Amino acid sequence: MNMVGLYPTFYVPEIGTAWVMGIIGVIHVLASHTSVGAAFLFAILETVSYQHNKPQLMEFIKRYGLFLLIFSYVIGSITGPGIWYAITVASPRGVSGLIHNFVWVWAAEWVFFTVEVIGVYALVYLIGKIDAKSHLKLTWSFALASWGTMLLIVGILSFMLWPGYEAWYETGSTHDAFYNLNSFSHLGTRTGSMLVMATLVGLIVVSRMKEIDLRYNVVRILVPIGLGGGLFAVMMFMYYLQTLPPNATIMLNTYLLPMYSQAMVAVFVITTVYLLFAWWRPAWINLTVAVIMFLVVSVLGVWPEERMRESMRKPYVAGHYIYSNQIIARDVRSKNIIGEVDKIAEHGLLKLHPFVPDRLRTINDHNRLEVGQLLARIACANCHSLEPGAPLRNIPDKLHRATDTDLIAAFLRGALKYGQQPYMPRIDLPEDEILAIATYLATVNSGQDVTQLINQRRIAAQNVASKNWE
Amino acid sequence: MEIGAIMQHLRDPAGIPAHPLLFQGLMVFTWTLHIAFVHLTLGAGGIAIWGYSQSENEWLRLAAAMTKVAKISVSLLIVLGVAPLLFTQVLYDPQWYVSNLLSSRWVIAFIFLLIIAYCLWFVVYFATYHGTPNKYVMYSGLVALFIFLVNGLIMHVLAYQAILPEHWLEWYMPGGIVDNTGSSLHAISWPRYLFIISLSAPLAGLFLIAYTHYFAVRADYPPDYLEFVRGLAKKIAPPGFAIALILFFAWQMIVPFTHPIAWLLGLSLLIMALWTRTNSFTDSGYWSLLGGVGVLALLSLWRELIRVNLLANFGYTIDSYPVNLDIPSTVLFFTTLITVGGSVGGYYLSLLYRAGRISGKYTTEEPIARLGSSAIAVLVIWIAIFFAYGITIWLSNNFLKN
Repeated sequence: MNMVGLYPTFYVPEIGTAWVMGIIGVIHVLASHTSVGAAFLFAILETVSYQHNKPQLMEFIKRYGLFLLIFSYVIGSITGPGIWYAITVASPRGVSGLIHNFVWVWAAEWVFFTVEVIGVYALVYLIGKIDAKSHLKLTWSFALASWGTMLLIVGILSFMLWPGYEAWYETGSTHDAFYNLNSFSHLGTRTGSMLVMATLVGLIVVSRMKEIDLRYNVVRILVPIGLGGGLFAVMMFMYYLQTLPPNATIMLNTYLLPMYSQAMVAVFVITTVYLLFAWWRPAWINLTVAVIMFLVVSVLGVWPEERMRESMRKPYVAGHYIYSNQIIARDVRSKNIIGEVDKIAEHGLLKLHPFVPDRLRTINDHNRLEVGQLLARIACANCHSLEPGAPLRNIPDKLHRATDTDLIAAFLRGALKYGQQPYMPRIDLPEDEILAIATYLATVNSGQDVTQLINQRRIAAQNVASKNWE
Repeated sequence: MEIGAIMQHLRDPAGIPAHPLLFQGLMVFTWTLHIAFVHLTLGAGGIAIWGYSQSENEWLRLAAAMTKVAKISVSLLIVLGVAPLLFTQVLYDPQWYVSNLLSSRWVIAFIFLLIIAYCLWFVVYFATYHGTPNKYVMYSGLVALFIFLVNGLIMHVLAYQAILPEHWLEWYMPGGIVDNTGSSLHAISWPRYLFIISLSAPLAGLFLIAYTHYFAVRADYPPDYLEFVRGLAKKIAPPGFAIALILFFAWQMIVPFTHPIAWLLGLSLLIMALWTRTNSFTDSGYWSLLGGVGVLALLSLWRELIRVNLLANFGYTIDSYPVNLDIPSTVLFFTTLITVGGSVGGYYLSLLYRAGRISGKYTTEEPIARLGSSAIAVLVIWIAIFFAYGITIWLSNNFLKN
């Protein structure tokens, strides 16, 4: 049977599935990075406490640990699988490709994750209940195990951007995919960032402590770690930018840096000033400022970073071989993976997609608009909203609300068909499918009620069919 | 298009990196652990809420303890749920993804509902610091439990829709009109769902028996209190297993075939009902837990056999999944499981177990102290190998092959 393995499409109006994934992802990054960073802060603080006989530092660890239990191990541990669920409904073939290449890596990460969850409870609840040396071992092992989860996930995330060299396409080996060109720079960026986030959350905990001496002790240890982590993250981010694929570099220079660079520089400067201020005057740290600073980093730092990472991958969703619209972009001979673009160009999506109603497989005047809507959702909606003014790179605005079907079709027959837009997939469709998409987009741009039109034409088609039957 | 052929085409073209039976075994095993903590959460949560509504001190003390148990149990059910989710997606990717896409909004809702429910349970937990929670706190606990049950239902639906491929097309495009909203839960098997959920009560009973055994050595746990808890366990477990057995038969009535494992599962419920009724459990508390895990292992196996049988009707079998063997990553998992899981996980569990049985401060014995040192050594060596191996690959691919 002639078919491509495309799944049903989940369509979220206005924000698209990409933003659903992005929102969950940002929450997870904040929670998980804080927890890994905090684990190292705990280990360092506890070492100081143990070596210099400062048991009061353990009080801070306990308070921070309780906060962490809720913030990271409720929200973080749920949004972790949550990203999985979100990406499952947004990009099923993307997540499937990752899982089938990295299942054992993910399973190893699961071992660390399990150990980490047991560890955080042990760490918090056994403070003061076991001897200090055993607890110190517990805390250091917890820190290293927490970092283990990051070591394992970052290679997979980096592969999503690209393998960086041809080795994986030739060998199919997981280690060639995992240790890709930008995996270490990516790891460095996240490792530095996690220390900054953990320090910022630590200052929230500090702001609730009344003991001034304890504040001084904690802040004077925390802040240098946060500043060092921030500097390291920036350096590694610069290196990370040198490991990007050409399509990402174009996207970065054309759209992303003009949009986000000022915010990212601002967040670095503001965070540095805030940390220096906290180091200078630990007693002046208050809850409101500490929470605002954490939110500043979340909104102006993590959200753009995650959006950039997601955008730079375009037109791919994994390994430079699966397009974001779920179509296999190229052959990976080592895995017997065959590209699907040419096959779709020859037969069309309507004929090859398993989840298309039979009545829409052949286009006519009655169903052209409906087919166009369905094809736009299948081929475009993973990256674009289809509503005018919507926040996810909406197509109507990209087309300047053009209502000329021929004009839109010309773009589909030209740049898109031949893959000349570096950050867009090559979408090569038969003429009738191009016309259907163009008709749909022109109708949307004209401001007409598309749903109502589709319903009217569907009823008209049914009437025609009934008359023919009679 | 024929649904069996569709499923074959939906399989990931990358294949799988080891023999499918390996993944299947791990999936069945880890799902057993996951569902055990689902039951413990619901059972302990139910006991806690009921306990707070009572006036006796024993009830209030037990309720506070079960609040904490449920809180930790949620964490563990989440983390232990990741593994079977992973292995399911390896072998049954077409079924799992289609099912999720048919109910996408519920999939996303599941995440936020779980966060809300868990936070509500923390409200109950923190309230116990200040004595008995008031009625509003109790309501939040009840809402949390209700949401946990709803989330269980969502997971049930996703699993159930996945084994009914003959309905996928009509669910996705009813009357030939495509529904991209993912707003419906299309199929619920109430007997299956209720049977699995019903096991929460008897399994919580088994947990209580182990609880009394564990704390029997502590002076601050008076014999009266432990006897009360043991008595409660014996009130819950036997009828709980009996009710589960009835629901099990109701479920089997609609399963279109049978298997010796199904009969064994039914028999195990009967045995557990009789055993928990007749045994006093004064000196064998942990055996009860082992019995409970045995029941769940049979359930996990039977659940998998149902899936295997139903999908085989459409020509879908896991042994036909293309294998692209990948030795290094396979070694990575098993060595990590044995070394990190064994030493670090072993150290934490030993500490928690030993410290919990002592009222005052616990000083580790030499073997456990050595285990702690080896845990750190294992992690340092693991990380060193991770970088050494990785940098070698990275340099080789960067400079030698390009």
